[in-house]
Amino acid sequence: MGFQRTGRRGCVAGRRQVFAAVFLLAANTHVQNAAPGGTGPRVSQAPMQTAVEFTDEAGRIVRVPQPVRRIVSLAPSLTETLFALGAGNLLVGDTDYCDYPPEALSKPKVGGAINPSIEQIVALRPDLVLATKSLNRRETVAALDRLGIPTYVTDPHTVEAMIASTARLADVAGVHGAGAALAASLRERLAALQSRLNGEPARSVLFVVWTDPLISVGRDTFIADALRWAGARSVVESPQDWPQISLEGALRLQPEFLVFSGEHSEAEQRNLEALAQLPGWRDLDAAHEGRFAVVSEAFIRPAPRLLYAIEQLARQLHPQAFLSPPPPEQKPADAPAKPGLAGQTGSLGAPRFLEGRAACAR
Amino acid sequence: MRPLTLKRVLWDCAVLLALLFLVVVVSLKLGAVPVSMYGLGRDLIRVALGRSSELSSEYRLIVFDIRLPRILLGVFVGASLSVAGASFQALLRNPLADPYVLGVSSGSALGAILALVAAPHLHLSSLAGALLTPLFAFLGAMATIAAVYFLARREGQIDSGTLLLAGIISASFLSAVIMFLMTTLPGRDLRGMAFWLMGDLSTPLPASYRWLLAVGFFAAAGAVYTTAADLNLLLAGEREAIHLGVDIVRVRLVVYVAASFLTALAVSVSGAIGYVGLLVPHVMRLLFRSDYRLLLPTAALGGAIAVVIADTLARTVVAPTELPVGAMTAMAGAPLFVYLLRRRLT
Repeated sequence: MGFQRTGRRGCVAGRRQVFAAVFLLAANTHVQNAAPGGTGPRVSQAPMQTAVEFTDEAGRIVRVPQPVRRIVSLAPSLTETLFALGAGNLLVGDTDYCDYPPEALSKPKVGGAINPSIEQIVALRPDLVLATKSLNRRETVAALDRLGIPTYVTDPHTVEAMIASTARLADVAGVHGAGAALAASLRERLAALQSRLNGEPARSVLFVVWTDPLISVGRDTFIADALRWAGARSVVESPQDWPQISLEGALRLQPEFLVFSGEHSEAEQRNLEALAQLPGWRDLDAAHEGRFAVVSEAFIRPAPRLLYAIEQLARQLHPQAFLSPPPPEQKPADAPAKPGLAGQTGSLGAPRFLEGRAACAR
Repeated sequence: MRPLTLKRVLWDCAVLLALLFLVVVVSLKLGAVPVSMYGLGRDLIRVALGRSSELSSEYRLIVFDIRLPRILLGVFVGASLSVAGASFQALLRNPLADPYVLGVSSGSALGAILALVAAPHLHLSSLAGALLTPLFAFLGAMATIAAVYFLARREGQIDSGTLLLAGIISASFLSAVIMFLMTTLPGRDLRGMAFWLMGDLSTPLPASYRWLLAVGFFAAAGAVYTTAADLNLLLAGEREAIHLGVDIVRVRLVVYVAASFLTALAVSVSGAIGYVGLLVPHVMRLLFRSDYRLLLPTAALGGAIAVVIADTLARTVVAPTELPVGAMTAMAGAPLFVYLLRRRLT
């Protein structure tokens, strides 16, 4: 993995401290506030705290104090990832857009992802701030660097990179076991999906991020890669991440399916019907034949939940591949990652996203 | 009207300076994180007595490492823009003249974008990397001003109407180039540019550039001030000024270069903050006098006050999310501009 450790002994001690901290946090939430101030008798033994150097995905070297006790996340995907790793209790602040899981909503907010309040972040006294290159501004990271706040930046461009990034994040946040388990379960899900879709022709799709103007995704984004895993191929081949596409260009590409991501399925459905009547859009075969696929918003967040959104899309694009009974590896896939996935599988595979959505697929 | 005395200048400046100090202290107190007036006062006194080692860590970080540098940046940016605006208004004998209108801000933004594009290919040290953006923004601003100047020159004469038009044309051309670059370049770092184009003081500066900003401001504003008496005569009319012995070529050159420098300095660190250079001098003319010997210092202090207030609002109205300060100055500035315009007409 792409980091080196400076204090091996400190790491072992650190791990013990994480468990102590987690236990205390579970027992008494006030400890969370007391610990960094130096009043908590057991968790804040300054000499025991060492720093471990990590190279983040932007190539920066970040010294992260171990154990990490207070994390601020600057992106919804990072917030989700922390919760999936079972480290949600270390999260002391997140952005206005961090809405999943519901517990994330009750965390103190530091503002939007693009323009957070630096002083609000500082006031939360984080040991570690998590940022992602595709959403946060480098000025924000520079400001945190200048204040000496360790800031770890992720930059996943593929689904596999997202999984690897998740595993690394577990090490950075000091929840060592969870990362490997979660990554293994995610990779198993991908493998299971791939074996199901084996032999299915890839559907050409237009992934619609925004309709007016029409914004799609570029080839170097994790979304384009996620589409590949779902048995689809984006018709847009742009080096830009969020290219604006002309309707004319979309007409020329004539995708088999239009893929939307959204949370409110009924409203989404009504919008799609209205959209299919508009000049330009109605000339798209996929639009007037109603070949829409609507996926969870998880599809546009590089977090573990992306896997479920991929499966959700695959079901809509290749329903015949899902007619056979599920392959046997489905069950063990969930089992090993109890801490993180317990809450996940419940709400993710659950009807919340799929209800009413099946109707969207043809 | 009574003649302007030195006492009057100092007295008016002292009033504004006291107001600026008050605004800075209030701005230090306000923000996403609540800070008590007592704690702030105690720590300010500690700093004043040179006992900064006794500061509480939270105050040290939030008040002195985050808010204070930003407020001081606002002070210098506001003063620079306002002095530059007042200078351009006298130079062009046009009340509409303003760094924003002259295309300087767009040129500076283009320079900043080019720096962001070039940075990954240059393998710079971190300090050089941090300096690259303001430096390119500065060069972009200076290049635009030179281009606008030569566009507007006809037979060795500068026509102020042509200059304004040249500025407006350059601004829209450069904005179009910026839009083109932002939509075609694959770089992800350009996302921040949209925020930057609105004017933004949240980006921290390397200490060396902060010194450059302060020294540059005093040098350029001082240079403009040496021509203050001549600018008064110039406003009465070019012919009259020449008859009264004003070296009009020298005054033009000094004021043009100094005002351009001030604009470039401000825009290179904050992006395009509109309306300050346009409006603050007009407000100061109404409140005090239009004598440039008084107007230049009052405009500098007024500009500082205006930008610090605007940035404090930008930091607090939707806290913890931050607005670009340019959005605040435009929201407050446009109605004020209409008011001043109507007032002039009646």
